[in-house]
Amino acid sequence: MSIHNEALKRSGHSSGKHAPAPHPVALETSELTVAYGSFLAVRGVSLSVRRNSIHSIIGPNGAGKTTLFHALTGRVRPSAGSIRLDDKDISHTRDDDRVRLGIARSFQVTSLFPNLSVQENLRLASQGRTPWQALAPWRSINHNKEAMATAGEVMERLSLTQVAGRAAGELSHGQQRRLEVGMALAARPRVILMDEPTSGMGVDDIEAMKELIRSLAADHTVIFVEHNMGIVMNISDTVTVMRAGQKLVEGTPAEIRDDPEVRRAYLGNMITGDIA
Amino acid sequence: MTYLFQIFNGIGIGMLYFLLAVGLSVIFGLLQFVNFAHGAFYLLGAYFTYDLVERGYSFWVAMPLAAIMVMALAALTEIVLLRRIYKLPHTFHILVTVGLALIIQEMTIIVWGPLGGNVPPPEGLNGVIIVGDFIYPEYRLFVIAFTAVLAVGLWWVLEGTRIGAIVRAGSESSENTALLGYNTLRINSAVFGLGAGLAGLAGALAAPIRGVEPFMGLEALGIAFVVVVIGGMGSYTGALLAGILVGVTQSVMASLWPEGARLMIYLGMALVIVAMPRGLLGRA
Amino acid sequence: MKTINNPIFHFFLAALTVVCLPLFLRSGVLASEILIFGLAVAACNLLLGFTGLLSFGQGIFFGVGSYVAGILLTRYQIPVPLMLLLSVVLGALIAVAVGWLSIRRQGVYFVMLTLAFSQFFFFLAYSFSGLTGGDNGILDVPRPVIAGFDFTNLWSYYWFVAVIFLAVFALMLRTTQSTFGRTLSAIRENEARASAVGFPVRAFKIAAFAISGAVTALAGALHAMLIGVAPLSSIEYHTSEIILIMTIIGGSGNLFASLLGAGTYMLLADVLSTIWPRWLLLLGVALIVVALFMQRGLWGLIETLVSHITATSKRTPNAATERPLHRQADGGKA
Repeated sequence: MSIHNEALKRSGHSSGKHAPAPHPVALETSELTVAYGSFLAVRGVSLSVRRNSIHSIIGPNGAGKTTLFHALTGRVRPSAGSIRLDDKDISHTRDDDRVRLGIARSFQVTSLFPNLSVQENLRLASQGRTPWQALAPWRSINHNKEAMATAGEVMERLSLTQVAGRAAGELSHGQQRRLEVGMALAARPRVILMDEPTSGMGVDDIEAMKELIRSLAADHTVIFVEHNMGIVMNISDTVTVMRAGQKLVEGTPAEIRDDPEVRRAYLGNMITGDIA
Repeated sequence: MTYLFQIFNGIGIGMLYFLLAVGLSVIFGLLQFVNFAHGAFYLLGAYFTYDLVERGYSFWVAMPLAAIMVMALAALTEIVLLRRIYKLPHTFHILVTVGLALIIQEMTIIVWGPLGGNVPPPEGLNGVIIVGDFIYPEYRLFVIAFTAVLAVGLWWVLEGTRIGAIVRAGSESSENTALLGYNTLRINSAVFGLGAGLAGLAGALAAPIRGVEPFMGLEALGIAFVVVVIGGMGSYTGALLAGILVGVTQSVMASLWPEGARLMIYLGMALVIVAMPRGLLGRA
Repeated sequence: MKTINNPIFHFFLAALTVVCLPLFLRSGVLASEILIFGLAVAACNLLLGFTGLLSFGQGIFFGVGSYVAGILLTRYQIPVPLMLLLSVVLGALIAVAVGWLSIRRQGVYFVMLTLAFSQFFFFLAYSFSGLTGGDNGILDVPRPVIAGFDFTNLWSYYWFVAVIFLAVFALMLRTTQSTFGRTLSAIRENEARASAVGFPVRAFKIAAFAISGAVTALAGALHAMLIGVAPLSSIEYHTSEIILIMTIIGGSGNLFASLLGAGTYMLLADVLSTIWPRWLLLLGVALIVVALFMQRGLWGLIETLVSHITATSKRTPNAATERPLHRQADGGKA
């Protein structure tokens, strides 16, 4: 069975009751270009990310991965080309509005609300789907039962329940990285964007993160930028290799590993890791 | 002809505003520190000049001496107090410099009284220049010429010398300067002294034009902020352009609607913010 | 620590203060001023302590409220409750405008903008002296007589202020505990994350400004009726400055700290200014001392003392209100 069909089958439970007609492509960019002044950080990149697949973006430093990532989250505006989410153009949608459309992100450098509790961090992340409700100064935080429930579920899933009441800033590094992913999960997104999810992690934590990302694909489409080739080659369905702002090659991990162009781009020595 | 007079006046005042704003900008650039005592240093520059002239010194001695005294005092303040607070959040930078401004203002009143005074135009420049039917005070022309020369000199210091390079590197990233291997502590004091000294010089030059009074510092602080906001923080040319624009607006409006002259400056600032949030020439 | 940072406890402390002020103070003006500035400072704290916005423009809203009282009561004989409502609405509207323009820049630029706007409104009031009375202000602003109750006497006016103070203070406590208040804390903690999580950060900041402006204008209107004048000085830089100073002195983590800050400042000012006209010099020194040694303000000092006494030094994590050391909106070079 091709991954394509697999994805179609799984997409049924990917979103809430107002799910749009399942579209095989969750996120798509066409000829996406981002310019900083006269410098083109991303030029003419077309991506097509299948629903419920794990799609990684790799490339040497300065290849434009991060800029591409920022364009997908909405932090930078594309100068040309388009981004479509479930066939809806979101090229010029602000980052906070994209959350409501079903995109959530995690940060490379852990970015939490450090003085707020774990529970409160996740509640806020879940509330972010209906942000205008939170504008009411008379509404108590218990009003949004759904957000409270989601926070509970996410803590359960990420084994953070025991530290629910601790301030996020006091957690261990591994716990903080998990909470970082949880912040994206709490928005119940269809597409999760992850910026170097294993950045700064120890070996044990990396293994756990790998399993976590793999399990996410059951309900989500995952796009991530990563340096750790072990993870990339191990769990990705599709890998896009970038160089100098452009898409160099795209394919399954096996195809990427054997591609001579990629080997050259990486000077031959960085692609390691076994293929599951 | 009256407009020409007002425009010349405006350029003169504007150049003083430019000095103030550049001083603020330099300090902010290197130290990431908003100096709410900037107006107080301007106040001190004016009062030192006033005091020295009252004691019988020539303005030509008093003016540079006042600027140097302000510079030394500011550098000393940096060493004793300010370097202890750089690491704190902005709130505390503001709290400390507001406190400093209050101390300086109240000291001024204790030493020189609450009423203020006048500084006569310096000998040799107390006449007027007459070209056709255009009559203009010599001292004000001197201020324009002197600050223009100073502006070129400053530009050279900031763009062409090592200390300028350090200041610019510092405004890119506060760690840059340390990486360059300079003694950051000494440079911080020097730059703070230079920035505050420019405010002091502006005060010294302003004294014969507008006299001295204890609350002139606050007004100068507001104006310096406006110039920086309009011109764009960190932009030398922006500060020059905005300084002159503000000066000319204020001066021309003063003849049309005296009460509303300063209102127009702030209105102009609001319009610039709406149209270009980064200021006319700002990058950041 | 949990108990002393409970909002119900804070309301109790505020109510206790309201009851105690008349017992210890001889001057009804001073007692009323403490409550009035308590409101203005709490409103400033909503921006500084809860949202991370250091506003140097609070005097604008205070002055607007003061002028609304002056103009409507002396020239149009508008009933006081309606006048107060209008001052609240106008304060909120102007705060939305000032906030909308100022939050276009972050960090110190934001602070500079709020200060520049406070100068703008000062010169506006100064220039349109037909409306505002210019340097003289608006004189003979009456105290209210409502439904047969006469509040023109100083101490009866104090109770008029006290009721309004407690009602608004309770509403503000509720606001800080609401989803809205919690979201403001999130924005203060990490603006980039708040936005990435889906909150339209600018809308929340503007809403915080609106509430802050409304409450500050109410305080301004009450103050004009208290002293019988709507003076130009109400809209001056100095008013913005003292409101901010009281906020920081009190501590920016919770709303009762604001009343504490206002009370301490007003009492010290009252005592010191009679002893020495140049007491602002001492204030300047005090500000530096606070910045160096007492960064969490008076409330932080009390917290430290209480935790020493009870020796339950372990921090509870339930926390938005617990860590008054706020972070300034990111002043980076973005």
